Amino acid sequence: MRYAEWCTAAPSLEADIAAAAMGLDDLGHSRVLYGCLKELPDGESVDEGTYTNVRYLDQPWTDWSQFVAANAVLDTAFTLMIESLAGGNVELLRSRLRKMLQEERYHYLHGRSWLREAPARDAVVSAWGEALEWFGPDGGDVDQLKKAGKIALGVPELRRSLEEKLETNAPSAGIAWDRWNPITRRTSEGGIDQGTLDMLQGLAEKRYMPAGGQRVEV
Amino acid sequence: MGAFRLMPFTRVHQNVREYEVFARKARVDSLRQVGSVVAPDDDLARAYARATYDEERWIEMVIVPKESMISLWAPGEDEP
Repeated sequence: MRYAEWCTAAPSLEADIAAAAMGLDDLGHSRVLYGCLKELPDGESVDEGTYTNVRYLDQPWTDWSQFVAANAVLDTAFTLMIESLAGGNVELLRSRLRKMLQEERYHYLHGRSWLREAPARDAVVSAWGEALEWFGPDGGDVDQLKKAGKIALGVPELRRSLEEKLETNAPSAGIAWDRWNPITRRTSEGGIDQGTLDMLQGLAEKRYMPAGGQRVEV
Repeated sequence: MGAFRLMPFTRVHQNVREYEVFARKARVDSLRQVGSVVAPDDDLARAYARATYDEERWIEMVIVPKESMISLWAPGEDEP
């Protein structure tokens, strides 16, 4: 969604198109993951009324460097977690996440190249800290899943892999784990505004539908 | 907000290359040119080509730096 907001505002026409394409990819990935959640044999019940995101996505980005940092750092962190899920012993995830990883490869290439082109130091520090929060604390739920074989990478491997992928060391970020919420996977309160949530859920489009809810073919 | 802001078309990169994009839909097809992208490096060119031209079900996509293409003759020129 935040990617898509840049589809007419990126620094070049190609980057505009890439922003739109990556936004579409990630919406599709969300749908696949959400579907998996419902199908997992020992999955927890899905609370359909709730939504959470990393703090970095709370507000629209106002500078291209924020896009670059999200694309390079957060999207790569997300991909590493998907790799970890696809490499674990849960058959549903092993089989269903492959296409996602193929698409994410291009997000990674895009993010890494732009990071070289347009250094985004402050935004990277911020995004990296939030990626670490999202991975979670040492010895937490992610490490427990690794121990059970359900995922392939624990928190130390995820952190190290992120550094390797981005060819740089993580900025030192003191994370207040005592404030970390295991449900939202972040240390701060807050989230996206209702209007953005409506757009994500497709509710914002309903006002374009004629009375009676009939689709208009155009 | 960054969105929907009208922005003049700019190229931010200092040094860009043009890449021609080739693709095919079936093994029996030949690769054919489907377009081009402009990017500062091969990785970004890959990402741009895939983002711009992946709407169809290609089984293969290839990019080539335009400067690597050797012209034998071109429109308006006589065949040597």
